[in-house]
Amino acid sequence: MTVLSTVVKWFADPAHWSGPDGIPNRLVEHVQISAESVVIGALIALPIGIALGHYGRFGNLAINISNVGRALPSFGLLVIAFQVFGLGNLPILVALVALAIPPMVTNSYVGLREVDPDVKEAARGMGYRELAQLVRVELPLAVPLVMAGIRTSAVQVVATATLAALIAGGGFGRYVIDGFAQQDYTKLFAGAVLVAALAMATELSLSGVEQLLVPRGIRLLQARVVQRATTFKTA
Amino acid sequence: MNPRFDSSRFVAALAALVFVATACGSTGSGTPSASKGTLTVAGFNFPESSILAEIYGQALAHDGYTINYKLLLGNREVVAPALESGQIDLYPGYAATDLEYYNKSAGEANGDATATTAKLNSHLQPLGLTALTPSAAVDQNAFAVTTATQKKYNLSKLSDLAPIGGQLTLGAGPECPTRPFCQPGLKTTYGITFKAFKPLDTDGPLTRAAFKNGSIDVGLVFSSDGDLNSLGLVVLQDDKHLENADNVVPILRQAAASAEVTNVLNAIDGKLTTADLLTMNSQVSLQHQDADAVATAWLQQHNYSS
Repeated sequence: MTVLSTVVKWFADPAHWSGPDGIPNRLVEHVQISAESVVIGALIALPIGIALGHYGRFGNLAINISNVGRALPSFGLLVIAFQVFGLGNLPILVALVALAIPPMVTNSYVGLREVDPDVKEAARGMGYRELAQLVRVELPLAVPLVMAGIRTSAVQVVATATLAALIAGGGFGRYVIDGFAQQDYTKLFAGAVLVAALAMATELSLSGVEQLLVPRGIRLLQARVVQRATTFKTA
Repeated sequence: MNPRFDSSRFVAALAALVFVATACGSTGSGTPSASKGTLTVAGFNFPESSILAEIYGQALAHDGYTINYKLLLGNREVVAPALESGQIDLYPGYAATDLEYYNKSAGEANGDATATTAKLNSHLQPLGLTALTPSAAVDQNAFAVTTATQKKYNLSKLSDLAPIGGQLTLGAGPECPTRPFCQPGLKTTYGITFKAFKPLDTDGPLTRAAFKNGSIDVGLVFSSDGDLNSLGLVVLQDDKHLENADNVVPILRQAAASAEVTNVLNAIDGKLTTADLLTMNSQVSLQHQDADAVATAWLQQHNYSS
């Protein structure tokens, strides 16, 4: 209880809400590096996963490579990248992008693979060209899995961006590392709470985005029978 | 019971016997035998300590003692009890850090090497140990700037930073803002307020990288780091003695501290400088020379020809 109350007091202290070491600034730093990593990771991973899933080739290769990627420890990558690029945001970006890629490749590959072949045949039969078929038929059907991949990546990246503080970066990790070094365990605990809260907020907001992107048909398929019936009537 | 336990006890008993013999040997001056006695010299688990232990050991060997070395024995929590129990006779200590070890972190150390060593001796006496005269060579927290910064502002000591601190960024371990020897001490003792503080590491690769890319102007290092010269870093003199006096000082068992041993070690300490430490550390850590060869070279320079 005493730990909790000191942590609550820490959050209530206005000094912790302003300046370069204040929560708002650390939040911006944390979100910025995480968002950059996920976006860069998505730009690399999604085209690969989608292309492989669409053509249905080299799937094992892609999944095996990304599984190897998952086994790479982020901390190790961070240290190596620091040796190569020196101080700054670049080594952190390298480690986080490498972390972000594997779940997105695997999920988008599987998502595209799982599209019912009959649906693809039908699309072809209706005169869709390949690109139109991919964009307007396969991708919408694969959205739940693709988005699940992005969500997994983003949550992992947000949690792992804490490591940035180990090589003099910013973000909520600063509170954890500094708190440990200063034996200020309240600060450390507060930092851990902030990271956990941000990871959960990421999860929740991305599932919101997913809800918006999933085509109504699939949403209805996943809904309960009663709801499905009423929705069809009103629609 | 456990056979390993028994054997370690046996070794300890044997070691105790050897040291009784040692004590007799070193007090019995003028014995006609070739060796004046056997001394065991230990060092901590970092290169500088090996160099210092070798210098002490080789100088004593030069004087006619038989020396056993226990280099890289461990940290102070291992080495000091070994000295108390008589498994070793001597190790190269550091005045302030050893004082704070033996007084259980009572905070008695200060920036004065002689006073700190006197305090240290008051804690060593009841344990049957003694610290000799501290050397001028010192391995302690220090603040460094690049040679470019030094030239630009014409800096030589920490006091010089007081008027220009507002333009400079300090880099050190994340604990620096709360430690008296670091940011708070620089403010109260020297009146230096920095423009910003960058949390890095204590004298590690982050600090070096930050100097390299110019994101800090002043950084915390250790005064005898072997790579300071090659990195183009200059240590600013601690002219108001903010840092505790971690001067090199031999710590030995009183039984082993005969007048002759004391003279030999004091002569070494009289000649050893921080610049020597820095050079020898760089020879070991950057040029990968052996600690014993580096120690021999230093002794030869100072007329201990073997």
